[in-house]
Amino acid sequence: MDMNEIKEIFFQECEEQLAELESGLLKLNDGDRDPETVNAVFRAVHSIKGGAGAFGLDDLVSFAHVFETTLDCVRSNKLDPNQDVLKVMLKSADVLADLTNAARDGGGVDEARSKQLIRELEALANGEMPAASEAPAAKPAPALVATPVADDEGFQPIPFSFDDFGGEEKPVEPFAPTCEILFHPKRELYAKGNEATLLLRDLSRIGEMSIRCDMDSLPPLEDMNPEEAYFSWKISIATEKGEDGVRTVFEFAEWDCDLEVRTVEEDHEAEAGKDELPMQPVPFDLSILDDGDDDATGEADEPAAPLSSANTAAESNVVPIAAASRAEPSRSEARAAPAVQQAAAAANPAASAASAAAAAPTIRVDLDRVDRLINLVGELVINQAMLSQSVIENDNTGVSSINMGLEELQQLTREIQDSVMAIRAQPVKPVFQRMSRIVREIADVTGKSVRLITEGENTEVDKTVIDKLAEPLTHMIRNAVDHGLEAPEKREALGKNPEGTVRLTAKHRSGRIVIELADDGGGINREKVRQKAIDNDLIAADANLSDEEIDNLIFHAGFSTADKISDISGRGVGMDVVKRSIQALGGRITISSKPGQGSVFTMSLPLTLAVLDGMVVTVAGQTLVVPLTAIVETLQPEASAIHSFGASQRLISIRNSFCPLVDVGRILNFRSTQADPVDGVALLVESEGGGQRALMVDAIQGQRQVVIKSLEANYTHVPGIAAATILGDGRVALILDVDAVVAASRGQSLKQEISLAATG
Amino acid sequence: MASKKAAQKSLSLAPVLDLNEATALRDKLMALKGSDLAIDASAVERVGALCAQVLMAAAKTWEADKRSYTFAKASEPFLKTMQLIGVNIEHLLAKEIQR
Repeated sequence: MDMNEIKEIFFQECEEQLAELESGLLKLNDGDRDPETVNAVFRAVHSIKGGAGAFGLDDLVSFAHVFETTLDCVRSNKLDPNQDVLKVMLKSADVLADLTNAARDGGGVDEARSKQLIRELEALANGEMPAASEAPAAKPAPALVATPVADDEGFQPIPFSFDDFGGEEKPVEPFAPTCEILFHPKRELYAKGNEATLLLRDLSRIGEMSIRCDMDSLPPLEDMNPEEAYFSWKISIATEKGEDGVRTVFEFAEWDCDLEVRTVEEDHEAEAGKDELPMQPVPFDLSILDDGDDDATGEADEPAAPLSSANTAAESNVVPIAAASRAEPSRSEARAAPAVQQAAAAANPAASAASAAAAAPTIRVDLDRVDRLINLVGELVINQAMLSQSVIENDNTGVSSINMGLEELQQLTREIQDSVMAIRAQPVKPVFQRMSRIVREIADVTGKSVRLITEGENTEVDKTVIDKLAEPLTHMIRNAVDHGLEAPEKREALGKNPEGTVRLTAKHRSGRIVIELADDGGGINREKVRQKAIDNDLIAADANLSDEEIDNLIFHAGFSTADKISDISGRGVGMDVVKRSIQALGGRITISSKPGQGSVFTMSLPLTLAVLDGMVVTVAGQTLVVPLTAIVETLQPEASAIHSFGASQRLISIRNSFCPLVDVGRILNFRSTQADPVDGVALLVESEGGGQRALMVDAIQGQRQVVIKSLEANYTHVPGIAAATILGDGRVALILDVDAVVAASRGQSLKQEISLAATG
Repeated sequence: MASKKAAQKSLSLAPVLDLNEATALRDKLMALKGSDLAIDASAVERVGALCAQVLMAAAKTWEADKRSYTFAKASEPFLKTMQLIGVNIEHLLAKEIQR
């Protein structure tokens, strides 16, 4: 593993940590005061800082350091995480993300902004501290009353109550071997910025430990060198990790200390009992000391060229990645593994056994590999379909065992396909989290107070969809805050909560993912929209439009209701771009708006872009696939139901309403004359904006799942065609772009661009 | 840092007691040598072993001088770190509580 790869892993982990950080902060923002949440937030920043230090990313380290210090105040209850504090923290999380990105991709960050935030963070850390300093001091008092007075030599067995530490679990490790450790740091250990307390803390994490500090060599104050190492420790620890685990803790300090580790057979308490000087049990929960870890290390390191730190033992215990990397060349594989584990444990200090168990094991896989697998499974599905088709064609004997086998094969392939698709499925959470940042920034710029509520973050959808979702969602969120929500004063005047709410929800609905973005703003100002549309020559001045049609005007290219153009929105490239992106994903977007109550944008997207349930139809001798999601119903038109309209338009009457009949063959130029509707089949489809159209095809062959093959990638974009697929008989079938065809039927010709986005 | 009280002197410890602070801490303590001392460790966030050494060396010295050496206040991190590294300061605290 070379340094770049390690770095890449670091950045991947950073991304996860940043997500963790943000979700934690948002939880705090919602009033969550669970110490574990605070710890999680702290850990995230801490891990980023630790890793960044190993790679010499000084900007990142210094910012994370300040951030961490402030978070520490929150953790130790010196700073109340109220809304104002969290606002600064959320911004800091954004800057931290920027810094991380800048470190990875190059490029700069807004220095003024990060400096400002550093100041704010420092102010928070300093400002609150003196006032709260009484509180922690008062705490230990009750415990002390009960403590028997020890003689001045110390080393008394201390009755130790774990209650003082707030209900931590004591792990039960009945069969853990006990190790006895003699640890005597040398002067160099401290000089290199390592810290005995941290090593001991890390050691205490791997098992139940008792410790005795040997202070005999301690000279009187006047004779002592403050930077000399006088203390040495005798430790007895019961750990499952055994001697190796213990050595791993000291791995990067062992040149700078005298270390003796041996496993003892007896129970460690018996061992401790034999000792002339009893040992002191170590409190299990030391999370309060976590700050000590990196801060001490980080600060000690700063003067000593962090760049070179990868080669020194100095901060190994806070840098999981680096630790792993350094462990590998020098140690055997077996040693490397615990090293990683231990380092990871160090990076997630307060991680209790519970949280460790909660996380299911995962692996990182290159997306390309997954895609290749998906592609292969797609081929397998096609191949299986071809095989079964040829068996059916050649099978004259009726039922045969081959058919049964094929059916099983079909089920298996389908299952494999589903499982493979599930690999690509990811929760929408990362995108949603990005949105909360957008909301914060826009709210800041516009001076509005906005609360983003997200629901269904764990709804899973194909990774491609997620990736492509971010951009339209960003546009929409910006619009919702900038245009949708009113200014706080206005909201107050209207009797609303001055804080606006934007709600982002995701859910699964009949094989699709539905994402809803609702704001509680003023709703779409239809008068204004209409006037604007008239001004922009989008509609005739006397056009009679339904509310829904007016609402849909905002999806029209070049439309913006903002009075003045801000840099947030209002460049007129908002909603039409959104609509286009959503459509490019095979999705639909609809609005429903209530004046004074807000608007709801609903996006319905396919779960995957790799397969599609389609209806296979024949049009003028060509085989086409119509996405099943678009079809409302199919019907056999009767002559009496067909009505001519104008020169060439025809309508079909369905249950007392008229619906335009669209001859797919004509639109796609498969034939020059109109087919007789009575000979064909009509597919009633829902088009954008809610209207229905009857697509006329010659015959329906059947319904099946098809594997989507991009036309653009293999050929070129064909208007009216969304993609292609390979059918069971080996032929290529085109997948119909229903919306494009419907739009074309309105008189617009099929154009190369996808600007066919209908306006409703 | 030290402020004079009637009989005894007091010393407030810095929040960060790391490598850099060890020498400074020793100097501060040396300046207070010979008088009763109440240490305020309530602001302490991190304690390194070096500073722990200095504090304990001072405790020995004070004891030899027959002067009182107590931790009047102590933060949770301070107490826990001391406990972690097996340095027993309970007796130094306990006397204060008894007083």
